[in-house]
Amino acid sequence: MRAYLTYLSKRLVQFAVVVFVGINITYLVTHMTPIDPVEQSISAATSFGSTSPEAIEMMRQSLRQLYGLEGSPWEQYVSFWKRILVGDFGPSLSAFPTPVSQLILRALPWTVGLLLVSTLLTWFLGNLLGGLAGYYRNSRVLRAFGVISMALKPIPYYVVALVLLIIFGFLWPVLPISGGATMASDRSNTFAFALDVAVHSILPVLSLMAVGIGGWFMGMRSLVSNVVTEDYVIYAELAGVKRNRILGSYVIRNALGPQVTGLALQLGAIFNGAIITEYVFGYPGVGSLLISAVHAGDYSLVLGITTISIVAVSATVLLIDLLYPLIDPRVEAR
Amino acid sequence: MRILRLLTLASGLALAATTAMSQTTVPGVPRNETIILENPEGTIKNPGWFNIWTINAGGQWTGLHQLALDTLWYIDPERGLEGAWQNSLAAEKPIYNEDFTEMTVKLRPGIYWSDGVEFTPDDLIYTVETQIKNRGMRWSALLALNVESVSSPEPWTVRFKLKRQNSRFHSLFTVRFNGIWMMPKHVFEKAADPQKFDFNPPVSLGAYKLHSYDPDGKWYVWQKRDDWQRTTLGRYGEPGPKYAAYIDPGPPDKRVIAQLNHNLDVVHDVAPEGMFTLSKQSPSLKTWFKNFPFAHPDPTLPSVIFNMQNPAFQNRDVRWALALLIDAKAVSMASYRGAATLSPIGIPPTGTHPDDYHIPLQDWLASYEIDTGKSKIKPYDPNIGNQIADMLRPTMKEQIPTDPAEIRKAFGYGWWKPNPQAAAELLEKAGYTKRGNAWYTPDGKLFSIKLMVEGDSRPILTRAGTMIVQQWRQFGIDAKTEVAQGTMLDRRNAGDFETLISWSVETYGGHPDLSYFLDSWHSQFVAAPGKTQSPRNWQRWSNPELDKIIEEVRRISFDDKRTVELGREYAKLIVREMPIIPLMAYNVFTAMDETYWTGYPTAEDPYANPVPNWGNSRSMMVRLKPKQQ
Repeated sequence: MRAYLTYLSKRLVQFAVVVFVGINITYLVTHMTPIDPVEQSISAATSFGSTSPEAIEMMRQSLRQLYGLEGSPWEQYVSFWKRILVGDFGPSLSAFPTPVSQLILRALPWTVGLLLVSTLLTWFLGNLLGGLAGYYRNSRVLRAFGVISMALKPIPYYVVALVLLIIFGFLWPVLPISGGATMASDRSNTFAFALDVAVHSILPVLSLMAVGIGGWFMGMRSLVSNVVTEDYVIYAELAGVKRNRILGSYVIRNALGPQVTGLALQLGAIFNGAIITEYVFGYPGVGSLLISAVHAGDYSLVLGITTISIVAVSATVLLIDLLYPLIDPRVEAR
Repeated sequence: MRILRLLTLASGLALAATTAMSQTTVPGVPRNETIILENPEGTIKNPGWFNIWTINAGGQWTGLHQLALDTLWYIDPERGLEGAWQNSLAAEKPIYNEDFTEMTVKLRPGIYWSDGVEFTPDDLIYTVETQIKNRGMRWSALLALNVESVSSPEPWTVRFKLKRQNSRFHSLFTVRFNGIWMMPKHVFEKAADPQKFDFNPPVSLGAYKLHSYDPDGKWYVWQKRDDWQRTTLGRYGEPGPKYAAYIDPGPPDKRVIAQLNHNLDVVHDVAPEGMFTLSKQSPSLKTWFKNFPFAHPDPTLPSVIFNMQNPAFQNRDVRWALALLIDAKAVSMASYRGAATLSPIGIPPTGTHPDDYHIPLQDWLASYEIDTGKSKIKPYDPNIGNQIADMLRPTMKEQIPTDPAEIRKAFGYGWWKPNPQAAAELLEKAGYTKRGNAWYTPDGKLFSIKLMVEGDSRPILTRAGTMIVQQWRQFGIDAKTEVAQGTMLDRRNAGDFETLISWSVETYGGHPDLSYFLDSWHSQFVAAPGKTQSPRNWQRWSNPELDKIIEEVRRISFDDKRTVELGREYAKLIVREMPIIPLMAYNVFTAMDETYWTGYPTAEDPYANPVPNWGNSRSMMVRLKPKQQ
């Protein structure tokens, strides 16, 4: 237990350092970008309208004051950390004065919903089918699935997404191709709204599964192929234990460890959003928000999203590291 | 195996269950009463924010500035409903005193906000004073710079006393794309801080009011007001659509799919290839030009912009040499796949400009001569449009017009003949030399040019830039494209470029006055090298002759006939000096679908600008009629 507590404290310090360094790097990168949020705002506000150079100069000064960009870099950095420590990311510079947290909270449920479902489904199906394929090596259906998933894996994601769009949006238009829900749908009717959201998520989820399932499938198939040659599996087969039981209780279970770690890392990365998926399918999630923030030079919003992502990924890794010695006795807490 | 079978069955059932749910319409709103238009702003980050008087806090082209807001005057870039000029909340044109230090506005009575309160001079005065008082608001700076005081000396009259002479002060309240929109005093005066007030739900002064909006910012639905007659659009008749939905349909491919499925009535813009697909596959497609090039030419002029503070481009002969190396036909094919409307002069070939400028200047252009040092050449080719039409005819067949007048309207009134020989002579005259296949500057360095392009976010102009660079390279100049992506605006404003494909010319389109962009080209506004340049003189060009033209424009009224003469003098000066190489109009491939609505504006009936994010696109609503009763 003492060893475990030492391990725990070391990992907590590591976690804090990773988060601190990660946020600082993001802060530096966003503040070194040549995109100036004030110029972006001015351009968006004036590019189509009547304007005068003198007025633009006045507007420039007003916006610098309004956005709080007037202090020295050190003052800005200190004020950033003061705010971050109390969970305040400040106002968005591209949707001023709305707080960044409000924008993220609006987008986050969509991204988490979409990616949680697609990640879990992909993981579950990929591992299940990979496990079956590794064990039932003569099954034609599973071999065909292996070929298809391997063929899909190297295809760039956006190509798969566009093909799905064309098939289900145009050639056989049975699925919605854009947005998270139907226009003006009644959100107070929870069941109908949930069903509507589910239907709108079919294509994005399918596209993510199409390119993601192959990795899990192949990984699990390889792991199972190794496990089935273990003595205890051969012994179980010779002892007449049912094949389904051998597969579920001895083979897949023992092969699952690395896949669980992979899953945990992917779940942590959910908070990054799926940028291309959200762009192609017009999904109102964090990925779309991040892209628009980058284009607008809105570093408050970029920092807000990346900070949440850094904390989420680091926390998941920490959690897995802490749980592993408890789950798998072969892993020692040293 | 049983698991596999179950999974297959479940996915089949799920797919079948969704068949009836795939249409994108507003529940409870009949599709044939709704017009669905693209909002090119995309997804709105802050969808519940309707206070358009703050700077970029929420969506603007969500239907808000097209259908719900209003101001004193409108200028249509096309012919307009009753002429390009439209008195909107003002009952007549602006009235200036003799020295343009006072402007009087006669307001139109009988116009009501959607909550039943009448629009009065108090709203106009409040709009002006509130923005002057709150310096972070969108038009604060413009108003604070110009307005000494604003008052209502008699009923339905508002008088502005200006801080200095300004013969174009009214342009702040004149919608080309947008203008200073009126604020409802009775709503805003209750807000503690007008800069932090979301104005949700918005009270409308236009013929539509907010019906609903997506809390995730994907769509906005506006509903025709029962009292639409009490709005400024009311005098043109009842708007056709009962509902107007402004949506984010996603990337260009999806816009095409959505229109082919009749789920998107007006596409703001697609790539030329998308428009060609629609023209082949959609029998219900309506476009600005009935045939090729389909697109609406915006009163904006993409050009090669020289950084005139860079010593390499301070010699006129060098700039002209670079212009004579451009084959406009190839640029047109590379950028717009031939669907470009060329302009050799610094004025876009759209709206009423061809009648005011391009056609009257044809003789001057044809006789314009350049002395290359070794010979005199006449560089103008009035037949480039015909040549482009001939190039396209084998593939686009009957879609290419044959009438010479139509060809000129579609492809432009001519451009410069590519003339590498004359270009070489001009460079030699400027002291450049050719050794082997490469050109060298007068001080013996390799003649290198970087042409900045925007990249993926503006593919058409990026393709144009890439083609121009190829042509310069073929001639022996070490030319390269620089892809700026998201840094384009910042680098342009900072003068951090050698040459650039963008535009510094934007006009009214429907009115010959050029002050909309030209005033900002005065040398008084040119930033020092390294400092930020304010719009729109991105070329940072100072010229005493141009200053004289601008100063005279400032002294005369907007409608003075002399504005056209001065505009022509400006156009000739640009030809002579070539601080930018004007290329073509910014063609917007607006695609309209006639499945549910007819009566869209076209080149044959140019009563409005069809591009749906422009404020004056509101005029479309009163001419649209439902197709399916």
